[in-house]
Parts: sequence; C-alpha cells; structure tokens
Amino acid sequence: MPKITLDGKTLEVPAGTTVLEAAQAAGVYIPRYCYHPALSVSGNCRMCLVEVEKSPKLLTACSTQCAEGMVVSTASDKVKAARRDVLEFLLINHPLDCPICDQAGECGLQDYYMEYSRAQSRFSQEDKVLRQKRRALGPHLMLDNERCILCTRCVRFCSEVTKTAELEVMERADHSFIDLKAGKSLDNDYSLNIADLCPVGAWTSRDFRFKARVWFLKKAPTVCLGCATGCLAEAHHNEGEVFRLMPRPNAETNTWLCDRGRMTYKALRAGDRLTKGFIKNGLIDLEPALREAATRIDEAKGAAAVLGSPWLSVEDNAALALLAAAMKTEHFCFDFKFETGIKDGILINKDPSPNAAGAALVKAGKGGLGMEEFRARLNSGAIKLVVAEARAAALLKEELKASGARLIAFATNRADIPAGAYATLPYASYFEVPGTFINYQGLKRAVEPAVAAPEGVKPLWEVLNKLAAYSGASLRLDSAADAMKGMA
Amino acid sequence: MAFVTEEFKAKAEKLCAKYPRRDAALIPLLQELQKESGYVAEEAMDELARFLGLPYSRVKAVVTFYTMFNREPAGKYHLQVCRNISCHMAGAPGLLALLREKLGIAEGETTKDGQFTLSAVECLGACGAAPVMQVNEEYFERLDEAKLDALLEDLRHGRLRARGL
Amino acid sequence: MENILLRDKVAELEGYFAAGGYRALKKALAMPPAAVIEEVKKSGLRGRGGAGFPAGLKWSFIPKDAPGPRYLVCNADEGEPGTFKDRELILKNPHALIEGMAIAGHAIGAASGYIYIRGEFVAETIKLEKTIAAARAKGFLGRNILGTGTDFELHVHRGAGAYICGEETALLESLEGFKGQPRLKPPFPAVKGLFASPTVINNVETLAAVPAIIERGGDWYAAIGSGKSTGTKLFCVSGPVNEPGVYELPLGVTFKELLEKSCGGLKEGKRLKAVIPGGSSTPVLTAEEAWLVKLDYESLAAAGSMLGSGAVIVIDDGQCMVKLLQVLARFYHHESCGQCTPCREGCGWLEKLLNKLESGRGTKKDIDTIVSVAENMMGRTICPLADAMAMPAISFVKKFRSEFEAHAAGHCCPPEAPVKH
Repeated sequence: MPKITLDGKTLEVPAGTTVLEAAQAAGVYIPRYCYHPALSVSGNCRMCLVEVEKSPKLLTACSTQCAEGMVVSTASDKVKAARRDVLEFLLINHPLDCPICDQAGECGLQDYYMEYSRAQSRFSQEDKVLRQKRRALGPHLMLDNERCILCTRCVRFCSEVTKTAELEVMERADHSFIDLKAGKSLDNDYSLNIADLCPVGAWTSRDFRFKARVWFLKKAPTVCLGCATGCLAEAHHNEGEVFRLMPRPNAETNTWLCDRGRMTYKALRAGDRLTKGFIKNGLIDLEPALREAATRIDEAKGAAAVLGSPWLSVEDNAALALLAAAMKTEHFCFDFKFETGIKDGILINKDPSPNAAGAALVKAGKGGLGMEEFRARLNSGAIKLVVAEARAAALLKEELKASGARLIAFATNRADIPAGAYATLPYASYFEVPGTFINYQGLKRAVEPAVAAPEGVKPLWEVLNKLAAYSGASLRLDSAADAMKGMA
Repeated sequence: MAFVTEEFKAKAEKLCAKYPRRDAALIPLLQELQKESGYVAEEAMDELARFLGLPYSRVKAVVTFYTMFNREPAGKYHLQVCRNISCHMAGAPGLLALLREKLGIAEGETTKDGQFTLSAVECLGACGAAPVMQVNEEYFERLDEAKLDALLEDLRHGRLRARGL
Repeated sequence: MENILLRDKVAELEGYFAAGGYRALKKALAMPPAAVIEEVKKSGLRGRGGAGFPAGLKWSFIPKDAPGPRYLVCNADEGEPGTFKDRELILKNPHALIEGMAIAGHAIGAASGYIYIRGEFVAETIKLEKTIAAARAKGFLGRNILGTGTDFELHVHRGAGAYICGEETALLESLEGFKGQPRLKPPFPAVKGLFASPTVINNVETLAAVPAIIERGGDWYAAIGSGKSTGTKLFCVSGPVNEPGVYELPLGVTFKELLEKSCGGLKEGKRLKAVIPGGSSTPVLTAEEAWLVKLDYESLAAAGSMLGSGAVIVIDDGQCMVKLLQVLARFYHHESCGQCTPCREGCGWLEKLLNKLESGRGTKKDIDTIVSVAENMMGRTICPLADAMAMPAISFVKKFRSEFEAHAAGHCCPPEAPVKH
C-alpha cells in the first residue's frame, strides 16, 4: 500500500492505483479526455498532466502508478500552464460551432475552457484543418470529424467492449480522423454509448439531436426494463417529456446501456400509446371499458384466471394476486421461468423480461399455479377468461387462441396486444409511476417516475382496484405499496 | 479472392512464420500485395483482413498510416523526390520544378500514359548524395538536370538502371 | 586511426572472415552472458541512434529470471534528416552488424532477433538478407551456433514509410503489424517490449561496434574518444561541402577538423552560417558556436545542442533560415503520428506560421508565437517527436531572429531557381 502526497495531503492507496484514481478517491478532480475508467489507458490527450517531484517532465496522471513517497501536485503553475496549452492545441482546429452543437452544456472542451483557460485564440480561423462534417454512421449515431479531438475513446470502446472493432484512426498527424469501412454501418448493439463516451460533440445521438438543450434536462433514476439484466439508468426529461435514457454506471451490473434499452423510452410518445380502452377493435373510454371487462369476468366466474407478468413491477404483480383473491379464482399464476444470463458477454440478457424474479417473489407470498399447470388448464378449457398484462399474455397466445378463452389485457402500447384480445385496458408506464423490479442477479431496484402519465391513464394497481370495484369487490389499494401488505 | 490468391497464400504463410504472431506479418503482406498490383486496393485490404483474421479497420489504418502504400494505381515509374533539408539545400525544389515541367504533372499526379507518377517525399536517408530521388525501388543520387534528362530518357525506354547513375 | 566500422573489403563473408570476422562471436559464446555485458559496459559504448544511452546498461535491464522469449531488435529505420550512416554500414560492413547481433543475443538471452529497416532501403534489405544467409550457412546464425548450443535466428523486417518508427516503441508497434504509434512508458521494452516480451533495441551502428569491443576489450574501446564519449562515431556530413559523406572518427573530433580534414572544406564561394550537429531534431548552432565545438555527447550538450545521430548538416550563408525551418516543420508535421495533442496540433500550427512568414504574410507576433507554441509542445508528449520539432524551431528563431524579422517586414527569399549545373 504505497503512501503518496497529493497536493499536500497524504494518501495511502492500494498498489497499482494510478495517480488519477488516487486523486479521484481523494476528491481531487484531474481533467481528462482520453481516460475512461472502463477502457484501456491510452494517454494521448495529455490533459491530465501532473507534476511529480524528481520527475523532470510532467507525467500523465492516468498512466502513472502511485509509488511509495511520490509527491504529486495537481495544481501547480506548471500543471495549470500545461492544461491551458493542451486546451489551446485542442481548440485550434475545432470548429467552435457550440451554438449548433448538441454537446453544448456537457462538452469537455467548453467545461475545461471555462475552468482552465479562458484565453483568446492565437490561431487564425482560415488556417483550420477542415474535416468531414456530420454524417450518419449507423442507425443511432452521427459523426462530425471536425469536432473530434482524437481521444480514441470510441475506437477503444469498439475494440475492447463490443469487440466489433469497426472504428480506427486513419491517416496521421492533424489530418488523421476516425473512420470505419466505407459503406459499413456502425450498428453494434451498444453504439449509443459512443455518444456518451465522446467528450466532445463529434459523436452525437441521432435520436437526441436538436431535441433539447442539456441544461434544461432533469434526471430521474430509473432501471432499464429492456431485459432481466436490469441496468441502472437515468431518464433525462423536461416539461413532461423524456428525451433520452442514459446509463447510471454501477459496479453490480452496468457501465453501459444497450441501444435497444436506451430506446425503450420511445414507447411513451409512440403513436400507438394507449390512453383509452379497447374492446375488440374499438376504442372506448376507460370507465365503460372497465365495466365491460368486469362484466365478462363476473360471467366467467370460477373459470376466470389471472396471470402475473415478468414485465410488471413487484407491486403490480402483487395487486394482480389481490385481484385473483377478490375474484375467488384458483387459476392464477406468477410462475415465469426463463433461462437467464448475459448472452453477449456484455449486458443483454437471455431473459427478455425485467422481472421474472419479482413475479416469483409474489408467487412465494401468494402461491398460485405453476406455468405448466396453468397452460394445461387453459388447454383443457377449464379457464374461459384470462386477465393478464399484454406481453405475459403473448407468452400463451397459442393456448389462448386454441382454447378460445377471452383475454382481458393491460397494455401501454397497442403493439403489445396479442391478436384476438377481447378487451384491453391502458395503464401507466414505469417512466410515469414508481415500481420495484428484481433483476436476474436478485438485485431489487426501484424505478422512480420521470414524467406524468397521459391524461386519464392510471397506474396498473389503480386500474385493478377499479376493475375489482366494478365486480363488487374491493382491493383496498391507495398506492402501489399497499399491494405489498402481508407480503414478506 | 482476387488478391489473396492461393499462390499469395503460400508466400504469406512463409512470411507469417517469421513472427510468433501471424498478424505481425501485416505490413510485409501489404507490401507483397502492392508489389503485385502496384497499389493496395480496398478489396485487397478486405481479403487480407479476412486471411489474417483481423478487423478491416486495422488493415485500413495501417495502410493509411504508412506513406509507402499507394491507395491508387501509380505510374509504371514512381518518381519520389526528396525535399528535406539537405536535398532542399542541394536544389530539390528546382528538381521538382523541372520534373513538373518535363512531365507536365504536379506532385501526386500520374501522366496520362500511366508511365510516371511524381511525388515529393521526406528524407530518403541519402543526404550525403543530395539531391536524391527514388524511382520505384532504386535511388538516384547527386542529381542535376543532365542526369535527370538521361534518367527520364532511360525510363521512357523501359530501362530502370540501378544506382550510381 | 584505423576505422572500426567502415572498413574496406569486408562487405562479403570471405573478406570479413579474412579480416578476423566472427572471432569475437566465438569468444563471446565462450563467455557467460553477464561477462559479455560487463565488457560492453566497460567499453562505454552508447546508443548511436540519437539518445546516447549506455548500451551495456540497456542490456542489463533485461530481467534475469523472466520466463518466455526475449528479443533483440536492431533499429535500422534510418530517417532522421541528415542521417545516412546505417545504410552505408549495411552496404560496406553488414557482417559486423550480424555478428554484433549474435553476440548481443547471447548476452541478453534472446534466441531471435529482427532488423527493422526503413522501407525505402530495398537494396540494403537485399544485402542484409544475403548476409544473413551467408552467416547462417557457416553456422554463425540459426540453431546451435558454432556447436555451442546457443540459438539465434535473425529476420529482416522492412518498414513502410514512417519516420516515427525510428522511436523504439513505435518501431515495436510497427514490427507487430500496427500503426507506428509510440507506447506509453513504463513499461519499458526491457520488461515488456516486442510481443510483450523483454526486448533490447539498439541502433545499427551500436551493434556493429560490439564485435570489436568483445575481441579487443572494453578498455581498448574506452580509450578511444573523449571522456564519457568513447569510441568512434560515424558522422554523416551533408550540405555545401566538397566531400559530403559518412566519416568514422573518434568522438570528440572538432567540427573544424571534420569539415576541413575529412570533407575538404566548404564548396568554393560558400561561407558557413550554421550547423545542425546531430540530425534535424537537434538545436542549430551558429557558425561561431560550431567551429571549434567537439563532436561528442558532453561537448555538444554543453553547447546547447546534441550529438544525436551524428548527422552534421552544414548550412551556408546563401540559405534562408526561415525557409529551412519551414522545410523542417513541413517534415515533422507530415511525420507526427497524431497521437498526442501537443504534437499533432503543434506541428501543423508551426508549419502554418512558417508558411505565413515565408510568403510575406507573417508578423512579428507570429515569430513570438512560433517560440511559444514550440515551448508548449516540449516535454509534454509520449515520445520525443514534439521535442524534435520544438528544438530546431526555438533555436532557429533564437539564433537567427533577424532573418525571421526581415520576413515579417516583408523581405522574403526569392523563389528557388531551378538547378542547372
């Protein structure tokens, strides 16, 4: 455990710790562009130069390991001058097009310029190296080579994380540029991380471009519900609209977020978002839809069934269990077994649902049928009506079709509804209401609402509460948490 | 495969065997490809990447990093005039001007008949014999106008004579 | 004194053998590796590529107990403007290099070696390949050298046009089939070099001096030269002198002696204005500073420059220093690998400033900016290419400021006249 002195403070750090890491742990921020904690060290930007006693030259904090007795200064005049000079070099060929750049507000050049430089340019505008301006590279990304500072984070990401190695720095000196094979698309499953990694406005998200200025965005902690990995994420929103989903790096699951996961927020404002009920193919207000659904449930009596869902929160599954109890049916099931595990070695799970473990928790508390038994009862005709969340119902679409059982489904978007559903009731998305999810590792994670649900769209527990009321029963739910009463 | 032919593969295996890792032979293999077609074509990079099991991007980055790889077909004779300090002092700018005039092309261009490509290059490591020009793989040293005329005449007749002209 | 490196009639094996060649290898193979290293340390032999690092010490950095292969690499990527000695040595005395490498391989425990030669040197590559084949046929290379049980395989690897590959870690990258971009150090090549194995990289001239040192002893070699600058050095003289070329002289010879005795003085009508003593990257000296300076590591450092690769570029008063610096800036700009910000951006910036001055569009302020940009590049990059640009820039402006100011005032050089001889 070497001891070092950093800006006058004595620190003891584990062997192998770099100066940058030691400083970070001690709350001293050292500016950097090429360094990224999840990528190999390249040491090319030269922004993190620090002064180390007895070393004639400044050293890069990102690549220098702490050694016993090292005396480091991160704020000496020499260090400040080096940072100012590196910034000047980075800016001479930069287009300075901040007013039309999406990175503005979260740009390493802007931030460090304000912090460390504020110098006037000594470089004439007409001498700038011109590079290729924006072009779409793949389904999600735009590349503007002129804004690029050649830190190579994107290159290293593609070679080290996705191992797809699409990108490289071509040519050399100040006419070098990031490129990929002509005509090829940068379409790996994680490409949008490159827009986050890029410390400047070279890589931007096509989805996010020109939608919002980042300084207006508020952040709500959430969980990606794209699969069972349950990556921690952050919804960036403003004035009732979500604009993007970003990873919340954590040691347990994720540094990154996959492209599909990032796009899950799009369902909120998708053209097929449900704000009303459906009976067969006709739109209908929520209240009459509930009444109709309740009537059909009552009609089915003991042949009505309730199916939980691995796409619903623990609380909403618990509320479904309460509904089953209120319906006095024995046909209910919270048993979803998927093969789990990371299928691509990065983040994407074999289990496409975010909460099979959460459903299992409800099963443990409330009992219910195994999936095979439930399936068998459906096939045998013992079940005449199923109340289920749309994607869970879709797991049984063959059986539903074959048995002719009526489906009362809950859905946020029309695309989720299995063909032949009798009634569909809208509910609020988990960007709009809180909920708990348990990922494939058994980690319990809470989503917090980022935005309000569309007018008239209720949380699922509330929809269930009303549905029960129309059947003359009461679930006594005033909140999602109420559904958890009596469960461990 | 048009470039990485069976014959090429046999040669390539020998080159790869010089190194504990096959991909270390990338540059010699690119040189071999260029020797055969005068330049490194996009498809050649693609085929070589597949042959070595490397990402295309690595091959392309290497080709664009090193100045000796031609990315377009060059003329039969590639005239490369050194313009660095010693050659400069010995009259390289004048030599280049003469060549531009005599060939009717600028640096980076190829004559219409495909005979000559003219390039200005950096130090060729023969400063004691400045001004120096490399034609394909041969060095021509201590050049002046008379020697240049004789050399161009030779080349027009398909004679690329070895050094010490 | 007699030449150690540049000798006549040794270009082929028969001649080399007749002159006592490969006796040193035989002697070295009978010595423990540590004793070979000790002898080289005693000789005071220093790296001839430019940095001047003691060769024996470099060899001793190879970890004794490191498992797995070790490599010896010869840097023949001769590209420093003004330098053309390795080429000469390879053509005239290639067996000295091969023998030196076999000895060094034994000393550091390397069973294979590579000669990385610049891509343009095709004739030299062929010469080396033939030389290796001849040495192998006689059992001086390959498996079980001279029946001693020692193996040493040697391969030639041609570069493809990149000055930066003369930097040893860029060379290793290139040898592994990557772009020639210098590596972060540590780890140093002695610990993690070629193919992540312990590696020694030495210049052609350094390795070629080894057989003589082993045969005649480190003390003998150390007695040649001047102080800590032991042995002979190949000086490459270019510019307007009567007999430009490569000259082997003891370190410590004065510039005056080199110019007058070896090179036959300046061409008629030329007056000495400046000398770049160690290749284009080293600070320029004025005629006055250069005239009596001793050409060795210490004396040139004391004079504010460097011995570098021993490339002495002679500049006469007919040359424009602004133009020459522009030529150099164009070169470094062209050769910057593009990795580190200060070098990538700074080299291009300097070239642009010099273009402005050269074409009469520059100002006095631009002259100060040249110095400031160069200073901001110094010592802040992974490899010394930025310094190699900055040192001439700073020294040219400092020592020949009036020429730069004349350009800023609109007095530019006439356009170059075509050469007519």
